[in-house]
Amino acid sequence: MLDKVVKWSRVKSPWVLHMNTGGCNGCDIEILAVLMPRFDVERFGIILTGSPRHADVLLCTGAVTKQMKKRLIRIYEQMPEPKFVMAIGNCACTGGVFKGCYGVEGGIDTTIPVDIYVPGCPPKPEAIIDGVAKLLAKLQES
Amino acid sequence: MSRRRRVSTKNEEKMLVELKKELGPQLIEGYVQRPRRIHIKVNPGAHRKAIEFMRDKWDVWHVSTITGIDLGEKIEVIFHMWKFKEPQTAILVRTEVPKSEPKLETVTDIVPASNFYEREVHDLLGVVFEGHPNLERIVLPDDWPEGVYPLRKDWQPPE
Amino acid sequence: MSLVRIPVGPQHPALHEPENFTIEVEGETVVDVKVRIGYVHRGIEKGLESRTYVQGIFLSGRICGICSNCHTTTYAMTVEEAGGIEVPEKANYIRTIISELERIHSHLLWLGAAGLEIGFETMFMYVWRDREVVMDLLEAISGNRVNYAINIVGGVRRDITPELAKEIRKGLDYLEERTNYYKKLCFEETTIRKRTEGVGVLDTVTARKLGAVGPTARGSNVKFDVRKDDPHLKYDEAEFELITWDTCDTFARIVVRILEVLESIKIVRWCLDHMPKKGDIRPQKIIRRVPEGEAYGRFECQRGELVYFVKSDGSDKPYRVKVRTPTMANILSVPELLKGGYIADVPIALASIDPCFACEDRITFVDVEKERKWTWTKEQLRKYAMEFNRREGRW
Repeated sequence: MLDKVVKWSRVKSPWVLHMNTGGCNGCDIEILAVLMPRFDVERFGIILTGSPRHADVLLCTGAVTKQMKKRLIRIYEQMPEPKFVMAIGNCACTGGVFKGCYGVEGGIDTTIPVDIYVPGCPPKPEAIIDGVAKLLAKLQES
Repeated sequence: MSRRRRVSTKNEEKMLVELKKELGPQLIEGYVQRPRRIHIKVNPGAHRKAIEFMRDKWDVWHVSTITGIDLGEKIEVIFHMWKFKEPQTAILVRTEVPKSEPKLETVTDIVPASNFYEREVHDLLGVVFEGHPNLERIVLPDDWPEGVYPLRKDWQPPE
Repeated sequence: MSLVRIPVGPQHPALHEPENFTIEVEGETVVDVKVRIGYVHRGIEKGLESRTYVQGIFLSGRICGICSNCHTTTYAMTVEEAGGIEVPEKANYIRTIISELERIHSHLLWLGAAGLEIGFETMFMYVWRDREVVMDLLEAISGNRVNYAINIVGGVRRDITPELAKEIRKGLDYLEERTNYYKKLCFEETTIRKRTEGVGVLDTVTARKLGAVGPTARGSNVKFDVRKDDPHLKYDEAEFELITWDTCDTFARIVVRILEVLESIKIVRWCLDHMPKKGDIRPQKIIRRVPEGEAYGRFECQRGELVYFVKSDGSDKPYRVKVRTPTMANILSVPELLKGGYIADVPIALASIDPCFACEDRITFVDVEKERKWTWTKEQLRKYAMEFNRREGRW
C-alpha cells in the first residue's frame, strides 16, 4: 500500500536536480525557459531541488569534463534509489562537437547510466517537455 | 553624428618610431598592420622595457590577453596591449623563448591584469614566468600530469 | 497522464555552472576570496587547430551558449582579416543586427537572473516572458533559438527579407516599451535599490588596474566599449551612446545593462533603415583555404571585450587560435568586489559581473576568526541572504 502511495507521489511530482557538467549553457537556458510562463512545465508537478538527497531525477547538460567527472559520480551516488537520469543536449548524449577535445570525457553515459536522451543543440523546449513526458511514463511503469 | 572609420596609419607610424627610439637594437622587427594594429618583436627581457614605456608614456594599462604559440624550436609569447588614450591602438609585443628553456620575466608588477593570462600560458605551454606571485594550475584539471603541455604541437590527445 | 496542481516552491536554481569559490569571512564580513576556475576547460583551442575553418565556426559558437554569436562573428572576422577576405556589405549589416539582438536577449536574461538573486521572482518571470519576443525573432531569422550558426568565413548564411524586417521592427517596439518599464522599476523600486546600492563596489582605479571589461568596467565609470574604440561591422556608422554609470556598485551594472538594451534597439533600427535591399550576403564558393597571415580580432560581447588571435598557414586548418573570453578578464576583479561586503551580498555581487563560466553552485566559507568551515549551495546562500536582509531592514 505504501509502495503505491510513494510511486504515485513520485510520478505526480518528481523532484529534479539540474547539473551542468561542463556545457556551454545553451541547454541550461532552454531548461530554464521550460520553467517560464510560456512553456511552464511546473504545471506537470516538476519541482527543482538543490540537493541530490531529495532528487528523483538528475537532469544533466554538457559534455563531462575531466574536472567534473568525480563530482558527477558523487552527486549520482548521493541520490536515493530509484533514480533516473536525463541527458539533455547533444553534448550530454555523445560529447557533441567537443568529442576528441582533450578536456572532455564524452557524453554522460561514459560516467553514469542514462535513462532518457534528448538530442538537440540545444533541444527546443518542446523537445525537453517531450523527454520529461517519456520519463514520467517510465516512472509510472517502474 | 556618425564617425567615419580612420583609414590613415600616420598615428601608428609615429608611435612605432617612438618605440624604435626607446628600445634601440632590442627591437628586432616592427610594422603597422593596419589602423589600430602595431606589431613589434623584441628580445626576451626587453618586453618589460617596452610595456613599461607604454605604461609611462602613453598610459597603457590594459593587457587584453597573452598568447603562446609553439613554433617548433621556439615558443612565441605575445602580449596584447590596448592603448585607450586617443589615438586608440592595439600593440602586440612579441618575443621568443627556446622550447628547451622556456623562461620569461613576468609583467604582473607593471600590469596586474596579466596575472591569469601568464598562468594560462604556463599551464598550457610550459612557459615559466619568473617573478609571478602565484604560478599555479589554472585551467587544467587537478589530476592532469605534470610536465604535459597540451598546446604544444608534439602533444596530441589520446585516441 | 493527468495534470495535478502543485504549488511551486520559491527555489529556482538559476544557471548552474561549475566553479569553486572559497570565501574567507570574519563574522558576516567577507575578508578574502579564492577562485578556482577550469571546470569547463574542454580543450577548445587545441580542438580548433584540428578542425577546418568551416568546422571551427561551429565549435567556437559552443564555447558559450549565451554569447555564441559573438564567438562565431569574431572568429569569422579574424580569419577574414588574416586571409585578406572581403565581406559583402549586406552581410555586415546582418551580422550587426544579429549581434545586437543577441545582446538584448542576454541582458534581459541577466536582468531576470539578477532579479532572482535579489529575491524579486516576479521580475524574473516577467523579464523572461518578454525575452521570448527576441528568441522568436532570432528563430525566425536563423532557424534556432540558441546557437544561430549565421556566420561563415566570408559572409552570413541567411538573409533578412523585408517581411522579416517588418516583424523585427514590431518586436523592437514591444521590447522598447517593456525595457522602459524595467528602467522605471529599477530606479523607483526601493527593494532593488536597497539590495544593490553600495554592494559589490569596484572603484574606477581598481577596475582599470585589474583589467575589468564590459558592463563591469562601464558601471565603474571606465569608458571601455570595443564598439566605439575599435570600430568594426557597422558600429562606426550606427548612432548610439556609450553607456557608463559612476556609482561603481551593483546598481550601476544593472542600470548600464538596461540602458544598453535601449541602445541596441536603436542600432538594430538604424541597420534596418540603412541596409541595402539587394546584395550578396556570402561568397560564391565556400572558402576552405585561408592564405597565410595573422590577425587580432576584438569584439564587444555582452559581457565585455572578446579577443581572438588567429594565425593561418595557408592550409584549411588554422595554425593557432587564441580565445580570451570576457569573464576571464572579470574574474580577477571578483575578490575586490566581494571584500568588505556581507555574506548576504555575495549572490547578487557575483551575479553582477554576469559570469559565463560553468559553475557548480557550491561556495565554501572559511571563518578565520572562529576557525570553522562550511559549504553552502546557492539556494542555501540565497535563503540566508534574504533572511539577513529582512533582519537588517533592507527588504
